[in-house]
Amino acid sequence: MPVVAIVLVWAAAQTGPAPPPRLTLHERIDALVAAGHPGYDQVAAPLADDAEFFRRVTLDMNGTVPSAAEARAFFADPSADKRRILVDRLLADPAYARRMAEFFDVVFMERRRDAKVPRAAWEEYLRAAFAADTPYDRLVRDLLSADGTDPKTRAAAKFFLDRNMEPDVVVRDLGRVFLGRDLRCAQCHDHPLVDDYKQGHYHGLLAFVSRSFLFPNAEAATAVLAEKADGEVNFVSVFDPKKTQKKTGPRLPGAEPVAEPTPAKGKEYTVAPANGARPIPAYSRRAQLAGRLTSPDNPAFARTAVNRLWAMMLGRGLVHPLDLDHPGNPPSHPELLDLLAAEFVAHGYDVRWLLREIALTKTYQRSSAAPPPGEEPPADRYLVGILKPLSAEQFARATVRATGPAVPEAEAVVAGQVAAFRRTFGGGPGEPDAGTSPTLDQALFLKHGGSIRGLTARRNDGLTDRLAKLTDPNAAADELFLSVLTRLPTADERWDVAAALDGVKDRGATLAEIVWALAVSAEFRFNH
Amino acid sequence: MSAPQVRPDGVWKVGKPLIGCRFDPSGRFLFASAEDHMVRRLDLRTGGVVGFTGHASWVRGMAFVPHGRPVGRSANEPPPGLLAAGSGLSQSAAPRPEPFTVVTGDYHGRLLWWRGDLPAPQFVWSAEAHAGWVRAVAVSPDGSVVASCGNDHLVKLWRAADGSPLRTLAGHDCHVYNLAFHPAGDRLASCDLKGIVKDWDWRAGRLVRDLDAKPLHKYDTGFRADIGGARGMAFDGAGWRLAVAGITNVSNAFAGIGNPLVITLDWATGKPTQLKPKEAFEGTAWGVGFLPSGAVVAAGARSGGRLWVWAGDDPASAAVVNVPSDGRDLALSPAGDRAAVACWDGTVYFFSLAVTAAAPSPRPVAAR
Amino acid sequence: MADAHYACRTAAHRSTRRGFLGSAALGAAGVFGAGGVSAASAAGTLTKAGKRVMVIFLSGGSSQLETWDPKPGTDTGGPFRAIPTSVPGVHVSELLPHTAKQMHRLALVRGINTAEDEHGRGATIMLTGRRPEPGIEYPHIGAVAAKLLGGESQELPGHIHVLPGGGGGFSKQDAAFLGPRFASVWLGGGQAPENVLRPGGLTDDADARREALRKKLNDRFAASRKSAATEAYAESFDQAERVFRRAEVFAVEKEPAALADRYGRHDFGRHLLLARRLLEAGVPFVRVTHSNFDTHHENFDFHLEQVAEFDRPFATLLDDLADRGMLQSTLVVVMSEFGRTPRINHLYGRDHWSKAWSVALGGAGIKGGAVVGKTNANGTAVTDREVNGGHLFHTYLRAVGLNPTKNFYPADRPVPIADPKAAAIDEVLA
Repeated sequence: MPVVAIVLVWAAAQTGPAPPPRLTLHERIDALVAAGHPGYDQVAAPLADDAEFFRRVTLDMNGTVPSAAEARAFFADPSADKRRILVDRLLADPAYARRMAEFFDVVFMERRRDAKVPRAAWEEYLRAAFAADTPYDRLVRDLLSADGTDPKTRAAAKFFLDRNMEPDVVVRDLGRVFLGRDLRCAQCHDHPLVDDYKQGHYHGLLAFVSRSFLFPNAEAATAVLAEKADGEVNFVSVFDPKKTQKKTGPRLPGAEPVAEPTPAKGKEYTVAPANGARPIPAYSRRAQLAGRLTSPDNPAFARTAVNRLWAMMLGRGLVHPLDLDHPGNPPSHPELLDLLAAEFVAHGYDVRWLLREIALTKTYQRSSAAPPPGEEPPADRYLVGILKPLSAEQFARATVRATGPAVPEAEAVVAGQVAAFRRTFGGGPGEPDAGTSPTLDQALFLKHGGSIRGLTARRNDGLTDRLAKLTDPNAAADELFLSVLTRLPTADERWDVAAALDGVKDRGATLAEIVWALAVSAEFRFNH
Repeated sequence: MSAPQVRPDGVWKVGKPLIGCRFDPSGRFLFASAEDHMVRRLDLRTGGVVGFTGHASWVRGMAFVPHGRPVGRSANEPPPGLLAAGSGLSQSAAPRPEPFTVVTGDYHGRLLWWRGDLPAPQFVWSAEAHAGWVRAVAVSPDGSVVASCGNDHLVKLWRAADGSPLRTLAGHDCHVYNLAFHPAGDRLASCDLKGIVKDWDWRAGRLVRDLDAKPLHKYDTGFRADIGGARGMAFDGAGWRLAVAGITNVSNAFAGIGNPLVITLDWATGKPTQLKPKEAFEGTAWGVGFLPSGAVVAAGARSGGRLWVWAGDDPASAAVVNVPSDGRDLALSPAGDRAAVACWDGTVYFFSLAVTAAAPSPRPVAAR
Repeated sequence: MADAHYACRTAAHRSTRRGFLGSAALGAAGVFGAGGVSAASAAGTLTKAGKRVMVIFLSGGSSQLETWDPKPGTDTGGPFRAIPTSVPGVHVSELLPHTAKQMHRLALVRGINTAEDEHGRGATIMLTGRRPEPGIEYPHIGAVAAKLLGGESQELPGHIHVLPGGGGGFSKQDAAFLGPRFASVWLGGGQAPENVLRPGGLTDDADARREALRKKLNDRFAASRKSAATEAYAESFDQAERVFRRAEVFAVEKEPAALADRYGRHDFGRHLLLARRLLEAGVPFVRVTHSNFDTHHENFDFHLEQVAEFDRPFATLLDDLADRGMLQSTLVVVMSEFGRTPRINHLYGRDHWSKAWSVALGGAGIKGGAVVGKTNANGTAVTDREVNGGHLFHTYLRAVGLNPTKNFYPADRPVPIADPKAAAIDEVLA
C-alpha cells in the first residue's frame, strides 16, 4: 500500500499542471512556501536587513564571515539588485568550493577517521569537484564507482574505504545519505514503525555490496576494494514464526531487481582469487550500484540531494529528519520537494545553480527575528529564518576571520584552527554532525582554551590590535561589531564599548575581553 | 680461548613444562623442576628418574651442598656417559654416588633440604624463607652456607649444616632475581629486577658496592610495568668475571619482545661488557655459565630456543645452536663438558661441549 | 529549535542526537517517553543515598586465575596459592590479601563467557552489555548511569573516566545515541579536564567583565531570537562556570595525607581516591582504568606487580566508602575486557580468554559474599550458571535500582536499555 502511495505522489508531480513557465525557480519556491500556510504573507517575518542577509549568505556559501570593509561596502551599495550580485559574487569565489567540500565531507563521511584516504586528498578531491561544477549525480557515481586502485581516483573511494567496506555500515549510509531513509531497523524484519521500509529493501541494497571487501585486508592503510563472484543474500524475519528464508539479488528500494548474467562455469572471474591476488569477478554487483542509484529512474536520489541542500540553506529539511523519508513522515511542502528534485535533474544536478536559486528566494532571505509577540512559529512553515549553529569549520573560519588581520590569513594558518575546532565541535564518528547539543568541553574550549584566547589577544594587526590603535571609542565599536557580527553597533552597544574603555590603562587587554565576548556570543555562534 | 664444538647429546622427556635444571656437584645427576611443582632427578648413568614431591609451587632455585668435598672441584670419576632416561640400565650397575644435599626453593617462599643422592628422596628440613617467591638459591664454595633471594627484596643466608638462619642482607628495593657466590668464598653477588648487582661481604653482613647491569631492566611505560632481572647469573671459575643474563631493548614487555643479553662484569673494576647473539633474535636469556676455558654459554628463547657460546669478550665470536623448544634454564656440568637446557615442551635437551684446544685464560690476576 | 514540533507529534522522537540543542530543554523524560525511567536526581548533586557507579577496568584482560578464581595445584594453576577470605569457603588468589578481607562486601561472578577474544570488542561487550552490531553503537554503562542516575541537571560531568598517562579529553563516542552530554570526560593521569582551569593571566575581574558583556549580548540577541538552541548554548557556559567553580573536586591532593597513604602513593591509588572524591561530590559514574594486564609474557611476574597495585587501594576504597556511608549507594564493579587462558604458554604468559572468567561486584544492591557460577577443575570451561556481558549489564542497573528492561528511544525507535536476550543475575543482588 505505502509503495503505491509514494508512486502516486511522484506520478502526480510529473504529470500535474505545470506552473506558469515565466516564473523563475526562486519565485516558484516562494509561491509554494507561501501556499503552505494560511495568511503566510501576513504572518511571515519581513526580509532580513542587509547586515543579517550578508552574514547569513556569506557563511552559507563561503563558510566564513565578511570583513568590516566588505560589510561597509555592501551596506553602502544603493543598487536594487545588490543581493543577487552578492550571491553571484560569493558563488564565484574560490571559497565556495571549499565550503561545499567541507559541507559534503560531513554529509558523506560523518567525521569518520581518515584511515585509508588522507583528509587532505579527500578535501582537495571534493573542492576540485565543486570548483569544476561536477554534476552531483556524477560526483556520487564517482564515489560509488572508485575502487581505490587508481591513485588518481583513490580519494573518491573514501566512502567505501573509510567505512572499511563493512556491508552493513555501507548499506546503512547508502540509505541515509543518498536515499533519505535509514533502513537499519529493516535489517532483521520489516521496519516496526515505518510501513514503507521493508526488510527486502535493506537486503536488496546489501546485495550490491555484500560480495565486496577490502584487499588485502581492512587493516592495511593502502587497502583497495575487491569483490567475489559469489555470495547470495538470504534473510529471515525474526518475527516470522515459520522462519521462511528469503533471497534477494541487488535491488534498489522500489525498483525492479537487477537482471543478472550467469557467468559460465569456470569463467566467473577475470582475475581468480588466489593467494596475494585481488580477485576481479567477470560480473560485478557493486558496479551495478552507482549508475542505478544516481539515475533519474531512482527518484529518491535527487529528492534526497535537494532535501539536504535545502536543509543546509534553510536549517531544516522539507523531509525532516533528513533520513526518514516515507509516507508516514511526509514532506512539509510535498510539491516544493518534487519541484526542486525535478528542476535539479533538469539542470544537470547543478549544485551551484540550485543554491543560487534558493539564496534568491524570499523564504531564504526572511529575518530570523521573530515577530513579537506570539507563539514560536512552527519551524516547518518557514515563516521566520531558522537559526543554524555554525559547523565546526564555519565556526573556526569565522572566528579566525573576525578576529584576524584586515587582510585574510593564509589557509595554512586557518587550517590549524579548523582542526582544533573540528575536534571540539565536530560530531562523533558516524553520527550526523548537526545534531549535537552544546557540551561542557565546547564551553570550556571557548572560555579557557588556547585557540580563542590566542585569536582574541592583541596580536600584530589582529582585530584587537587594530581596535587598540583607534582612539575614538565609537570608531572602535563600529569596527568591532562590523568585523565580528557584520553589523553596526546599536547606541547602547556603542555606549557599552566606550564605558568599558573609559580610563583603562591597557586598552589591548580590555578590547581582548570585548572581542572574546562577541566571538562567543550566541549571535556569532549561530547563522541567523 | 676457543669455542667448543656444541653437539646435541640426548634428551630427557619429562612431559611437564620445565622451569629449571641443575647438575649435582659430581655431574652424575640432573635435577629438573617443572610447572607441576615437582623436582625430578635423572641419573645420567642409569637413566633412573626419581621425583621429589613436597613443593606446592614452582621451583626455580636449586643448589647443592656436597658432603665432605668442596663444591666445584672435579669428580674423581670421569664424566658419566649420558643415557636417555629409562634406558633400562639398573641402578645397581652404577657405583654409589657421592653424598650431597640439594636445597630447593619455591614460589611460596619455602626452602626444602633433601638428601639428593639416595635412591629415594629423603626430606631433611624446611624453612619459610621469603615472603613471596624464592627466585634463586646458591651454596658457598666451602659448602657451609646456603643463600637464597626473593620477592621480599631480601637475600638470606642459612647454615648448610642445619638449615638455621644465619643472616639477612637487606638493601635491594625490588625483587631479587638471582645470586652467586664468588669462588674465593667471601663475597656474594645478587642482582635485582632493576639490574642492580650488589656485592656483599656476606660474612660481615656488609654491602661492599653496587655494580651496574641496568640494561637488563626497563619500565615499560606502555604497559606500566617493570621487566628485567638476572634470569641467569654465574661467576667464572677464577672469579674474574660475573655474568648476568636477561632481556634488553624491550619494546613490548607483555609480549616479551626484546633481545637476550649477557652482561659480564669485570669483578675488579665493575666494568660491564655486553655479549649479544650475532643473529637478530628476540627473546630472553634464561641461563648463563662459564666453561673452564672462560667461554660464556647462555640459553634463551622466545619463539624457539637457542644456545649461544661466546669464546671471548668479542660479541662477534658468538656461536649459536638451535634448541628445539623454548629454553627456560641452562645447566652446565661441573666438568664443563655438557650443557642441559630445560624447555617448555617438557624436555631437557643435552649438548656436549667438546673443547678442542683448551687455552689458558688471558687474565693474569684474580681480583679479591 | 528545529526539532521541537516534530518531536511534539511523537514523544518517542525526542532524541538528543537530533537538533542542536536537544537535551536541556527536553529533560530526562524526553528520552523515555511516557512511563519511562525518570532521573534519580534533579537537584544537581547526588545525596549520599543517591545511587552511583564505579567501574574499575583492569585493562588488557586480567587473569581470573590470579584474582577471583584460582586453581592452585592444577596444570593451569601457576605458582600462586589460593587464600581464604572473610567469607568461609570462598578463596581468592594470594595476590589479593587485602581484598580477601573484604569478601563479605563483594560478590563474585565466576561463570562469564563473553565469547570475544579481541580487546576492543571485548571491552565493548563489557561496557555496553551488547555484542558489537554493525550500524549501531550502544551507550557505555557510564553514559547510561550518567543519564539515568545523574540526569539532565547534573552539575558536574556525569560520566568520568580516570585513566593512566596523559591524554585528557572528551569522548565523542561512548554515549552513542544518548548524546555527547553523557559521553565521558577523560581525566588522563588523574588531571582535571582539559580547559577546566582558567588560563594564567585571566583574572577573576577580567573574566567577570567579559562574561557580563557576553550575557548582555546574548540577552539582546534573545530578545528577538530566543530559542531552545540559544538557551542551551548560554546554559553550557553556565555549566562550564559551575564546573570551574567546583574544580577542587578534581584536586585529589586535597584529600587527607593519611587517607592518601592508605590508598597508596602511586597512580592507581591516587586515581581510585580521586574517583571516590568525585562520587562523593555528586558525580554518578566514574570509571578508573588500571593498566595493564595483557600478559602474554610472564603473566605471573606482571600479575604480581599489577594485582598487588590493585589490591590494597581497592580494599581501602571499600573501607572508605563504608566509613562515609556511601557503600550502600555505590555499586563498585571490577571488570576487564576478558580473562586469560588457563593454559600457560611458552613465555610463562597467558593469552586472551573469554570463555570462562570472573567479575567482582560490591556495594549498592549487591549481596556480599555471594559467589555465582563455577568453572571446572582447571578453569577451562564454565560448568554452572554461565552468563555474558548482557547479564552483567542488567545486573549493574538492577543493583542501583534501575529497570534495565525499559527502552531508550533514539531516532524514533525503541532500544532496550539492556540486551533483551539477557537478564540480571539475581543471585548476586541483595
